[in-house]
Amino acid sequence: MSSITFLCSKSSHNNNSDVQKGKQASSVFASAPAGLLTIATHQQQHQHQQQQQPQQKSKVKATAAAAKTNGHIDDRSDVTEQLYVDPYADLGNGLPGDLNCCPASPTTVPAKASLESPLKRSGRRQRTTSIGNQTTTANPSECIIRANNRTIYTAGRPPWYNCAGQQVEPFVIGICGGSASGKTTVAEKIIESLDVPWVTLLSMDCFYKILNEKQHEQALINEYNFDHPDAFDIELLLDVLTKLKEGRKVEVPVYNFVTHGRESQTKTMYGANVIIFEGILTFHSPEVLKLLDMKIFVDTDPDIRLARRLKRDISQRGRDLRGVLKQYLNMVKPSYANYIAPTMAHADIIVPRGGENKVAIHLIVQHVHTQLQLRGFKLRETLANSYKDQPMPHSLHLLHPTPQIKGLHTFIRCRNTSRDEFIFYSKRLIRLVIEYALSLFPFKTTTVETPQGVHYEGKRMESRKICGVSILRAGETMEQAVCDVCKDIRIGKILIQTNLKTGEPELYYLRLPKDIKDYKVILMDATVATGAAAMMAIRVLLDHDVPEENIILASLLMAEIGVHSIAYAFPKVKIVTSALDPEINSKFYVIPGIGNFGDRYFGTEPSDEY
Amino acid sequence: MCTGSPSSNGSQSEEGSTTEQAPQEQQAETERERPAEQQLRTPTHAVVAAATAEDILAEYGSNLKLLECNSQVAELLTILRDKNTTRSDFKFYADRLIRLVIEESLNQLPYTHCDVETPTGAIYEGLKYRSGNCGVSIIRSGEAMEQGLRDCCRSIRIGKILVESDANTHEARVVYARFPDDIGSRQVLLMYPIMSTGNTVLQAVNVLREHGVPESCIILSNLFCTPMAARTVVNAFPKLKILTSELHPVAPNHFGQKYFDGI
Repeated sequence: MSSITFLCSKSSHNNNSDVQKGKQASSVFASAPAGLLTIATHQQQHQHQQQQQPQQKSKVKATAAAAKTNGHIDDRSDVTEQLYVDPYADLGNGLPGDLNCCPASPTTVPAKASLESPLKRSGRRQRTTSIGNQTTTANPSECIIRANNRTIYTAGRPPWYNCAGQQVEPFVIGICGGSASGKTTVAEKIIESLDVPWVTLLSMDCFYKILNEKQHEQALINEYNFDHPDAFDIELLLDVLTKLKEGRKVEVPVYNFVTHGRESQTKTMYGANVIIFEGILTFHSPEVLKLLDMKIFVDTDPDIRLARRLKRDISQRGRDLRGVLKQYLNMVKPSYANYIAPTMAHADIIVPRGGENKVAIHLIVQHVHTQLQLRGFKLRETLANSYKDQPMPHSLHLLHPTPQIKGLHTFIRCRNTSRDEFIFYSKRLIRLVIEYALSLFPFKTTTVETPQGVHYEGKRMESRKICGVSILRAGETMEQAVCDVCKDIRIGKILIQTNLKTGEPELYYLRLPKDIKDYKVILMDATVATGAAAMMAIRVLLDHDVPEENIILASLLMAEIGVHSIAYAFPKVKIVTSALDPEINSKFYVIPGIGNFGDRYFGTEPSDEY
Repeated sequence: MCTGSPSSNGSQSEEGSTTEQAPQEQQAETERERPAEQQLRTPTHAVVAAATAEDILAEYGSNLKLLECNSQVAELLTILRDKNTTRSDFKFYADRLIRLVIEESLNQLPYTHCDVETPTGAIYEGLKYRSGNCGVSIIRSGEAMEQGLRDCCRSIRIGKILVESDANTHEARVVYARFPDDIGSRQVLLMYPIMSTGNTVLQAVNVLREHGVPESCIILSNLFCTPMAARTVVNAFPKLKILTSELHPVAPNHFGQKYFDGI
């Protein structure tokens, strides 16, 4: 972990100095709050660095810097301890199976880790994206649980929908305040004390407009006003925020402060339980205001803000006193008076003194908790306790219970079956399930010519565009059967694990074919107990615009409760299984069940369970 | 349900005879099927094998079973019938259909109830197949189904029968048969994919009976069957169980050739 930290901070240092070379005294960082933690050691580092790399102004350097900035972003994602990976972010690289591609943005953000690491913290000043280094700061001790010989990561994405499978609207907090007022600190403190598993932090900095040649030159001599509302692409911002609020996937632009353009790469974000949107002009647009559930204004004394700005720009960015003051007096201060301070009227809460104000933060957190509870973010338990004694839904397609299927079940359910036999017989059963699942896709009649000279009226599948998506880990065992049955089928993967503490499913990893919305999808999981993981996977597919009726969920064994929950939430999803068991136990295992299918198949059974 | 120990059962010699006999057999097969085919070649429009489960029960009795014809199976049949299907596709989809037919054939085997304890400690009321079954394939097209059977029962014993028909009289006769010694006490899965007259199967069943296998212990796994062949076999051996995927007046006689030779 320490080496990773080093790598990260190193790359950001390079980057900072490149920025200094590229454009002398830009006001880009005007909107970046100074933060309260300007630690002595970390200033020294920056000064040291400045000496090493004297300032230059050539344009060539600027482009080089741009390239480095790219590299920096890549470095950062390599560093990320993130277990959840966005499906599209790395398509450009064409590296299948590369887990180290761009991290998905929304994450747990325990700010503690970043406090512990001043090196990493220094990297934050260069914010190329809303989440910045915060994705990297998940404290390893917090996100990994070791139980017996299993390692469980708990930094995945928890349910973002209720037990009816419907999106639950995230709670959106807007944080506004002048430059260097401590908005980010407030946001971090909120996240830290909120203790909600999934928070997205979106910064207004991402939405700076792309500058043209002339504006770019202005920026280089401190004459472009980055604090004016016109500097932001409000339309794009509104679009992104609306989608996030709908719980959909969005591509957030990555703004490059050197070229004043957008990187070709974007950050993928999802709507989370809580979305925090911060920036200097968050309350400016009335449309954006409507989307905010809670509006916080961080009101810090102008003297303190100027002091922070001076300290930051001079000591960390190598700019001279005159330049900073000129920019402050000509643009930052008037903008604050004209555009920022008046929006204080929209605020629900005004937080004086920024992040130091513990009482204010505590009040905010309490309110958010109440709101989240009202919205019903608690899935698995709700699922397990509903729909008892109901008739089975129509969307359930149970394989005809032939003696052969029952015999296969006898083999794989028996606790004394060796792994060799377990794998063999479960594969046979899986094959039957998949063959049956295929028959549920739409077919059309067609007439073909036979070698015998007669015409033959038969059927063909309407569309050959089928893809398999497995829910890791147990669902992976079914991939082979799908490949055996469909030639050249594309396979997507979704990793969902249960958080042992909360018992809730969490989404970690996602990799789907690019145009999955055009495909019929066979979603595979070996066993379905409460259906929580399957519902999450279906929700993911829906979020990727796969029509509900194009999804077939195939599994070997399901509990009745799981079937009810899924059918209730997604009535058009076809459910295929080879056996239906009546109950689940307190650990959410199906009774009588198979046990932990993945553990038995892969041979990772803990010595004492159940 | 599989036989306990993997035993090769003199497979070496069988292999040898298989290769020797193959071309001859191919010819014989085509010869044999020709008359039936000619009879039925007349309709050029689409021939639909419209037969409901009730019709079949009424006409052939309860021992002829059709694979449940869902859309997926219909597609497999269509692909195998299509003359434009490439060889690799043909083999791929034939293997899929064979697997389904074999799985379904295994359903006909006798079983006993058996309760097992699951890892969660609960009891599952399952069932258990008797061990001591064996497969018998009719050379050569029946051999296409051996792999399907192996995929389901890893160490099952497989016997072979070579049936030849006289070039002039079209009369089928068995020229080679090799079975496990105790075949008389086993359930036999007889594999033969295409039946157009049923003569070959009649001869094969006769041989099995000579080796002491009761009629009721034989399950015939078949892919394509003509109504005529079905009638012939059912009349001759009413206790024999037949499992097929399609009853259709035109048999796809190109099966063996396309599957093995790729022509």
